[in-house]
Amino acid sequence: MRAALIRKILFFLVILAIVVPVLFPFLWMLTSSFKTQVDIVAWPPRLVFSPTLQNYERVFREQNFLKYFTNSSIIGISAVSLSLLMGLPAAYSIARYKQKRLSMFILIARLMPGISFLMPWYIIFSRLKLMDSYIALILSHMLITLPIIVWIMSSYFETIPIEMEESAMVDGATRQRAFLSVVLPIAGPGIVTSVTLAFIFSWNNFMFSQVLSMERTRTLPIAIYNFVSYAEVDWGAVMAAAVAIMAPAIILTMIFQKYVVKGLTMGAVKG
Amino acid sequence: MAIKRPKGSFLEKNLHIIFPLPAVVFVIVMMLFPVLYTLFLSFTNWNLTSGMPLSIVFLKSYQKVLREPRFIAALGRTFSFTALAVAVETILGMIVALILNREFRGKGFTKLIMLLPLVSTPVAIGIVFNLFYDPTIGLANFVLTRFGLPRQAWTGSAATVIPSLAIVDIWQWTPMIALILLSGLASLSSEPYESARVDGASEWQIFWRITLPMVTPTLLTALILRTIDALKTFDIIYAMTGGGPGYASETLNVMAFKYSFEYFRMGQASVILVFLFMLVLFMSLLIVRMRKSLEL
Amino acid sequence: MKSKLMLVILVVLTVLSVGAQQKEIRVLLANHPYGDLLKAAIPEYEKATGVKVNVESLQESQLTTKLTTEFATRSSTVDVFMTRPLQEAKMFYKNGWYEPLTDYDFSDYPKNALDVATFGNKAYLVPLVTEWEVLYYRVDLFKKAGLSVPTNFTELEMAAKKLNSADIAGFASRGKGAAAVTQLSSYVYNYGGTYLDKGKAVFNSKEALDAIRFYGKMLANYGPAGITNMSWENIMPLFQAGKVAMWTDASVFYGQIVDPTKSQIPAENVGIANFPAGPKGNTPYIVVSWGMAIAKQSKNKALAADFIKWATSKELAKRGMLANITMARNSAWKDSEVRAKIHPGLIATQEYAAKNGIPYDRPYMSAVGEARDLIGEVIIESINTGGSSAKLESLARDKVAAVNSLLEDTGEYGVY
Repeated sequence: MRAALIRKILFFLVILAIVVPVLFPFLWMLTSSFKTQVDIVAWPPRLVFSPTLQNYERVFREQNFLKYFTNSSIIGISAVSLSLLMGLPAAYSIARYKQKRLSMFILIARLMPGISFLMPWYIIFSRLKLMDSYIALILSHMLITLPIIVWIMSSYFETIPIEMEESAMVDGATRQRAFLSVVLPIAGPGIVTSVTLAFIFSWNNFMFSQVLSMERTRTLPIAIYNFVSYAEVDWGAVMAAAVAIMAPAIILTMIFQKYVVKGLTMGAVKG
Repeated sequence: MAIKRPKGSFLEKNLHIIFPLPAVVFVIVMMLFPVLYTLFLSFTNWNLTSGMPLSIVFLKSYQKVLREPRFIAALGRTFSFTALAVAVETILGMIVALILNREFRGKGFTKLIMLLPLVSTPVAIGIVFNLFYDPTIGLANFVLTRFGLPRQAWTGSAATVIPSLAIVDIWQWTPMIALILLSGLASLSSEPYESARVDGASEWQIFWRITLPMVTPTLLTALILRTIDALKTFDIIYAMTGGGPGYASETLNVMAFKYSFEYFRMGQASVILVFLFMLVLFMSLLIVRMRKSLEL
Repeated sequence: MKSKLMLVILVVLTVLSVGAQQKEIRVLLANHPYGDLLKAAIPEYEKATGVKVNVESLQESQLTTKLTTEFATRSSTVDVFMTRPLQEAKMFYKNGWYEPLTDYDFSDYPKNALDVATFGNKAYLVPLVTEWEVLYYRVDLFKKAGLSVPTNFTELEMAAKKLNSADIAGFASRGKGAAAVTQLSSYVYNYGGTYLDKGKAVFNSKEALDAIRFYGKMLANYGPAGITNMSWENIMPLFQAGKVAMWTDASVFYGQIVDPTKSQIPAENVGIANFPAGPKGNTPYIVVSWGMAIAKQSKNKALAADFIKWATSKELAKRGMLANITMARNSAWKDSEVRAKIHPGLIATQEYAAKNGIPYDRPYMSAVGEARDLIGEVIIESINTGGSSAKLESLARDKVAAVNSLLEDTGEYGVY
């Protein structure tokens, strides 16, 4: 009995040893975002302090983070929607016609270093006067979102029994009709998984936006990066900005936890 | 279960071509074509700032880059960073997965926590770790001094910058390996375990003889994917050190970025890109081969 | 009938809209205090002239990148832009991206400021802001230690030694390779060396290496930890937090150092002094850090010329000075209202540097970014070894060769 209790406590401590290091940077970021510069540079680091909202005020009022927030959302949502439009039929075809090569081809887009297309894009987009345009940003982010969607959805479609479409087709529906009215409606969980992940990886993207966006279409990761390199390091405000950037992805993850685990462990890792 | 007999209208007959077509065209235009363009540029000496038109110099840019000690160092660094990060992530990830592979209260919550690093914005994470690492006000040195250890410069010194950056990568991606392995472990059948226990095998023997071989396919896929991503790590390095101090944390990706967008030496930047590209392509082919031989 | 009427209306509308088409120009500014000031003042200009000014503000390296790509790919619609003369001018001029400013009145500018604006016999940019290297120090700490402000390197080292403690770094200056090159330049000059001479790299001379060794020794012994990864943006918060006793850097930071919302150090405890003298005298850099230019391919050159006259006017220069921005115009420094408000240390050090200073703080060449990276390696090696590296000479020799090959690549080697 006692041995069992001790084992239980030991196990709990082990779990704690896993959870705390993972969680700690988030907690530190969150507390620091409520500290004044004076509290942050204090040595030894202060655990007790009077919290302030001035950092958030600075980030949203002076630094215009709301605009970058909007930009990130516009680009992420557009890229994901367009990718769904292209990706769902492709994924269906890969799943039903066993197009292994095609699947590899699209997977390669996910594996290639982004910078190897970025440099040509940069030249082409400049020539077309598309630098700092939403079109350029959305197209580039689609190269992140499309492979994720195709990759996750083709595995998902494979799990849907083919009999469902076949019975619809026996009733006279065409295959494309069956795809639209039979397969898609029950593919909800897969779509949620792929959309969540694709959106998060577009949201987090730094390299493409760093090169292709300027003032007008600047996204959040660039805003926080510039914030650090332009102003002298105002740690509190930077941490507030970090919280603001990560909050949506974290909230999405919490809501769709089950799906996200599935998607990530399916191999759709880092964009 | 593949469909054999397409029938009906043109669209229906050619569904397997028409459905994937938009995606394929998109990837060709946005990826294949740029990659070929990069390959072409690598045979030129194009420099945006020289004011001279591009001219084809064949392998001269390759010669120049390969002779550059900075390139050789960056190549080596790319490998050492990757090896360090991925090795630690695999071992830690395996341990964590083995610990979590049982039923306990709060398992769902633990898994949720483990997801958070994977979905966090790398740039922001890098900046948070910069606050930890700050030699004067950072928590990392505070902890060290508490334990009576000397202060470190962390990302501020050539000797410690790579491990310091690897720690960030490890923090962010160990949970992913753990989660993948966990789902792999959960799908194993319990039969071999039972018979091994009947035979009186120790836990350690069970791990080496049964668990590890059975989970190897999953582990290898995770490992290769992670290796590819680690080879192209950019965000945290660029945001935390910009490749510094000096070039002490400059990997191929960072170097290529600087050559393209800071020095505007498009020809030579393309050479670096071709190398990075081949490296990743090689790793990707490895995946394909392994998927085939392991029937994943 | 009806359709004819529609047609007439359409034509009238079209004519009207063409006739009323507003004059527009596109201006690129830097995220710099003067850029911010201009941005705020532009509505006044729009009101007075009826010209619509499309402004974009960019962080400085992004500004260079954007201008370079737009010009190099001939896709630019920029009319007027802020430019960093020492970083960009040579390359921009050589590529023909600047429009010569033939009818601008340059009489109010110091001669050494015009040097970097002029190529051949034409000026291509208007100097906006100058900066020079100064020594910031903590008045209270000096008083407590009974020290007087160092006037030469020997005194600087002694003071740093005395002020250095576990809590407070005795001395700080940029240690992050490429970023340190500009602040190191005054040290190099005061030791009698320089980066480039007659179009050739010479920073492996004995004088230059002595300066680099001294710089490395000072930072290794008395600098904050992790200095090789620190530029001004990392040092300033330390100074503001009271963790640095002395700091050599550009004059532009005074306003931010004493900003009470960020600093724990009251303004009266922050002193500004002349950069200390070295073995070969005292000739700190004083440079035009920002200028303004018209793009060669601009299709609105008359509008652009009018805008640049306004944006660099005496009146705005005075406004800049009152906002603690150290402007290039002579008249701005003579204004009595300005002199009454600005820190006397700034006026005194500006006068000294304007008289004795050197108008370059980095190797002045097209590939300056790469050259700074290369020199930065030598600086870091020196800091890492406390100035005693045995291989500094050979390292510097390699980097000199590399910088020379950059000069050769762009046809600048031996040209001056």
